[in-house]
Amino acid sequence: MTDADPPALHCRGIRVTYGEVTALADLEIAFARGAIHAVVGQNGAGKTTFARVAAGLVRPDAGSLAIDGHALRLGRVAGARAAGVELVHQSFALPPSFTVAEALEFGAGAGIGVYSRRRLLQRCRERLAALDLDVDPRRRIRDLPVEVQQGVEIARALVTDARLLILDEPTAVLPPAGIEALFERIRRLKRHGVTVILILHKLREVMAVADTISVLRGGRLVAGPVPCDQADERRIAELIVGQSAAGSVSADDARALVGAAPVRGAAARDTSASAALDSHESVLELADVSTAKDPEEPPLDRVSLLVRPGEIVGVAGVQGNGQRTLVQAIAGLAGITGGDIHLGGTRVSRLSPVSRRALGLRVIPFERNSEGLSLTSALWENWSVRELLQKPLFSFVDPSALRLRCDEALRTWGVRYASATQNAGALSGGNAQKVILAREIDEDARLIVAAQPARGLDIGATAFVWSALREAAGRGCGVLLISSDLDELFDISHRLVVMLSGRVVAEFVPPYDIGAVGRAMTGASM
Amino acid sequence: MTEFHEFMVAILRSGTPLVYVTMAGVIAQRAGVWHLGLEGVMIVGACATILGIVLTGSFAAAIVIACVLCVAASVLLWFVIEKLGANPIIAGLGLTGLGIGGTALAVQALFGSLAAVTAPFGVPRLGAAFGPYGALSIFVLMMPFVVWGMWVLLCRTRFGLRLAAAGEHPLAARSVGTDPARVRLIALAAGGVLCAIGGAELAAGGLTIFAQNMTAGRGFMSFAAVIFGAGHPIAAAFAAMFFSLVGVAGIRLQLLFGASIPHDVLLSLPYLATILGVWISGRMRGGAKAATEASELRDY
Repeated sequence: MTDADPPALHCRGIRVTYGEVTALADLEIAFARGAIHAVVGQNGAGKTTFARVAAGLVRPDAGSLAIDGHALRLGRVAGARAAGVELVHQSFALPPSFTVAEALEFGAGAGIGVYSRRRLLQRCRERLAALDLDVDPRRRIRDLPVEVQQGVEIARALVTDARLLILDEPTAVLPPAGIEALFERIRRLKRHGVTVILILHKLREVMAVADTISVLRGGRLVAGPVPCDQADERRIAELIVGQSAAGSVSADDARALVGAAPVRGAAARDTSASAALDSHESVLELADVSTAKDPEEPPLDRVSLLVRPGEIVGVAGVQGNGQRTLVQAIAGLAGITGGDIHLGGTRVSRLSPVSRRALGLRVIPFERNSEGLSLTSALWENWSVRELLQKPLFSFVDPSALRLRCDEALRTWGVRYASATQNAGALSGGNAQKVILAREIDEDARLIVAAQPARGLDIGATAFVWSALREAAGRGCGVLLISSDLDELFDISHRLVVMLSGRVVAEFVPPYDIGAVGRAMTGASM
Repeated sequence: MTEFHEFMVAILRSGTPLVYVTMAGVIAQRAGVWHLGLEGVMIVGACATILGIVLTGSFAAAIVIACVLCVAASVLLWFVIEKLGANPIIAGLGLTGLGIGGTALAVQALFGSLAAVTAPFGVPRLGAAFGPYGALSIFVLMMPFVVWGMWVLLCRTRFGLRLAAAGEHPLAARSVGTDPARVRLIALAAGGVLCAIGGAELAAGGLTIFAQNMTAGRGFMSFAAVIFGAGHPIAAAFAAMFFSLVGVAGIRLQLLFGASIPHDVLLSLPYLATILGVWISGRMRGGAKAATEASELRDY
């Protein structure tokens, strides 16, 4: 790299610490201009922190940043934006009550900025048209599907002519069909001279779109940026996961994890206790279950479903087709208007969530940060809820004993944490999910309902979640896995049902045909 | 016809202080502060205006003093919330207590008694050109323009959008280089000026008197108007005027029916209307649920 061609972004010795946790340890990295760069790594590797430092949201303790060779004032969003750096967050940062037009406008410049409604709408239409984004500027952000929200946020980032766009795990929230559209959009940006840094966790996605790949581990750069066509997928996977862990992942899992080719799921059946699967026993039985209307999600419409001991049943479907209602109905959070739910032979249709839990129901909810954990409570409190729930209302609590047991459990599950008294909010996504697993998967579990358990997690953490679910199934526990990731479902499900508009519309057994499942998901005639 | 004009004058006179304070609540609400200190800031404004007139003999000086003290009280609230990390609701209630107690103390310290303080004159009047409305203060005339100005500022400027973003989704605001804490400081300080005017109008718009605890819950009523109006300046202003109308109607009913309806029931009408209004708006918008969802977006 000559002086005439300075890198689009150059980090030198960036160090960020949060309390006792070091998120970035003297990170050194440079990205060339006009290319698509992928950054991958484990949870806690510092990917998101890196993105936030570059965007000025986090002020590093040490180090320097240069954009196109010009030094940047650290920890100043305005400065970073003036230099052309924009960040699109993993869980978007657009106020949900804003209309699309307002969302594009609020960051468009400094000053008071008086506008008229007509001019605002017109400006917004022009901006959307330039990005080929088809959405009514008067619609509110909260009413938009996730992929459109993401499109709007990218448009928001480009309003000020960004020259370096950073996207933090943009594919984690997208249904499979939306990912290719996103990549097409990113390629078009590259043609317009924008440098793009993508934080990703699927190697297939990296290979599909990126020009270079860099691997972070423990807040340091361990490889890259190397051109993708020279990168060895297996080597990269090892670098991400770490050599010790890489050996413990099976060949099929590894393929599903890096997404080299679609897994057909034939192996899943062999590894299971097939004897148990043929039994007539069930851990969960839904018979013609319907729920009341809900403005946010289609209600269940005469859903029948059976999960046997030791069986992993996958629920596929495009997000928003009743999966949330299904989980709530099973958990006892949504009342049912028809049909019956049985847990291990006991009718639970009218039982409270706590009574259902006593019968062995465990739930890994969709939203780990709002439904799964109390981020403002200590880890031991989050963990010990499972015992406290089963105790009488006025029983004594022994915090020190619970803290000790929590420490033990979290260590067994390999959670990276400082102390059982720290708040759950301080953990990264994968570690937070491990805390939930440590709480929900125990000896008394008979049925585990896992809703998107690996969403937003990277390779190492995903493999961990899968093996935890498989082990639970191996012990005779039933697992109901709800996911929008077909790789995940194909790899670990013994059986697959597809939900569409609140109904179960199809059922598949291995070997899975990706075409047929995809058609069932969108309701195309088979 | 004079009956109608009298009625309108009464509504405007009792509603105008509410509207100003409601605007202060709206801007704070949009910036993400549930401003329960409105009552306290308003009474500081009322007290400072009357004492200012008595001590300096100038209305202009009095209103400047009121504005300075109200902005100082609002900045104190901001400091306690943002820098000391206090719960905004508790801090706001504390400020209300401080305002009510502090103004009583100030009167006692300056005049040696807890009796009401009377000023020789008040807010300038509109004058004879306005016919039956001539007795109203200039703040009443300014009020519609202030509400319109707030609407433009909050709903038709980029600044207003950034303010709303800071309140609704602080990470979004920070992502475009806006510091939510700074936005809240601006919002609360601006609210201080509005509360000063509201307090001045209450104490010196008609009668020119300050008595202990004279706001009598009007700050909380304004807060209710903010909720009733869903944080929209024009809707909230109408809500405030509606509460005023109910209050004035109550007094009229009292004159009409005299002893047949208990005095206390009629006096509690505006407060009952407030509760009803907030309940209705809650039903219309999913109430508590919507509020929790919004608070979950906080990034700290």
